[in-house]
Amino acid sequence: MVKIGEKRKIRYGFLIDLRRCIGCHTCSVSCKAENDVPLKVFRSWVKIIEKGRYPNVSRSFLPSLCNNCDNPICLKNCPVKATWQRDDGIVMIDEHRCIGCKYCMASCPYDVRHVNPLKRYVQKCYWCYHRVDKRVAPACVEVCIGRARIFGDINDPNSEISQLIATNPVQVLKPEMATEPRVYYIGLDLDVMDPMKGWKGLTHEDGGEL
Amino acid sequence: MDVQIIYNTPHEIPLGWFIATYFYLTGLSAGSFVVSVIATIGGKAEYKPLGKIGAVLAPILLILAPLNLIIDLEQPLRFWHLFVYLNFTSPITYGTFLLTIYPISGLIYAWFVFKGNQKMASFFGIIGIPLAICTHGYTGFILALGKGRALWSTALMPSLFIVSAMVSGIALLILAASIRNRFFLKNTEEKERDKDLIIGLGKFMGGIIMMDIFMVFNAIIVLLTSTKEAYEVVKLMLIGSFSYEFLGIEIFLGGIIPLFLVFNKKTRKSLRWLIIASILTLIGVYSMRIVVVIAGQSIPLH
Repeated sequence: MVKIGEKRKIRYGFLIDLRRCIGCHTCSVSCKAENDVPLKVFRSWVKIIEKGRYPNVSRSFLPSLCNNCDNPICLKNCPVKATWQRDDGIVMIDEHRCIGCKYCMASCPYDVRHVNPLKRYVQKCYWCYHRVDKRVAPACVEVCIGRARIFGDINDPNSEISQLIATNPVQVLKPEMATEPRVYYIGLDLDVMDPMKGWKGLTHEDGGEL
Repeated sequence: MDVQIIYNTPHEIPLGWFIATYFYLTGLSAGSFVVSVIATIGGKAEYKPLGKIGAVLAPILLILAPLNLIIDLEQPLRFWHLFVYLNFTSPITYGTFLLTIYPISGLIYAWFVFKGNQKMASFFGIIGIPLAICTHGYTGFILALGKGRALWSTALMPSLFIVSAMVSGIALLILAASIRNRFFLKNTEEKERDKDLIIGLGKFMGGIIMMDIFMVFNAIIVLLTSTKEAYEVVKLMLIGSFSYEFLGIEIFLGGIIPLFLVFNKKTRKSLRWLIIASILTLIGVYSMRIVVVIAGQSIPLH
């Protein structure tokens, strides 16, 4: 219970309503533009799969971004405390402190971090904190043409995101990792969230082949 | 259900050859240090040369090893941040101290070994053993705490790393001792006594190789019945694109053939076969490091 006059702590959360997503990649493009994300790396992207056999087929989308977890493994494993968490839950990287050991990238279960190929340190999605601090929604939220992305304070029961989470069945990615991710999905498809479904083994583009 | 991925954007794998080489070099160092200390404390006079060889190899390898880490950094000039900004939940922070203290204690140990000061050498050797094991064990923790990767995040990883470090360290010592026997010993009687010692070391290596294969077997069996990612990564190692490196080099070339050479009646008395066995073991352990680091990251996370 929140007492009258007590200041409630803000905890930002992110909700993606996949019933409204059309897989247009506008979020990915706006992220690139807003944050100057270089070529070959992504902070926000949409995985697309097709499933079924004609005539019973469908497409499913998985828009991904940093989960800004409540219990982030990247923060625990960073050897120089370059990764830190704001009071409102956004996980930040001190770009002047990061040594680029890439251990956070190796331990993140969501593959959301990347090395900036020009500046040579690790970066990720910060839920556009520079916009959020000015009370503007993150770039991908603002441009989403289906209004599938909702950003807000999940500690405030009257916010749109809290109401949607409270009244809909929601899901997070890889809850078994105990990182307590804070990107919620409505209508997430089982096959699109499974990395192994439709995976054809290593290809050269994966960078994994010896 | 037919599932076709239309579009996905996986990132490049973060850790590569440098990290695998670093794991390999620390393993070699820790293994040869432990054997060197056992030889020094062991007491018998004929063990002493073995102790000296290990005492030289261990610090040299451990000075080379962190260079791989620093080269692998995206910001190599910021490596000093590791000493200033500490995070005690990160295994790399522990590694910072271990990689500093262990070579220093190793150098002091080597100095007393060469001075012939038995008492001080034993003292620093006994201090050095836990340091050497921690230095290699923590690298196992680096992988084990990378919880996103199914192959890495098992409690077996640190022990597996320590056992394979012992294997590679002994193999390196056998190689170095055989070269010494071949080229630097002139006295025939001394040569024979030295040879018996190397053959004993070979049996020791055989025992630890068996332990290593047993632990790898355990890891594989559990991963096969664990999560889907674990199953897929083991499939990659057994029948996929890493089967050559894993089954061919690590298990067969670096495990089964050396075991055969070390325990077979015809080959176990021959120094030449023992050298071949130790070279194969060294290659096998390097292959193990590569497979663990790179195959571990080769399955997609989204």
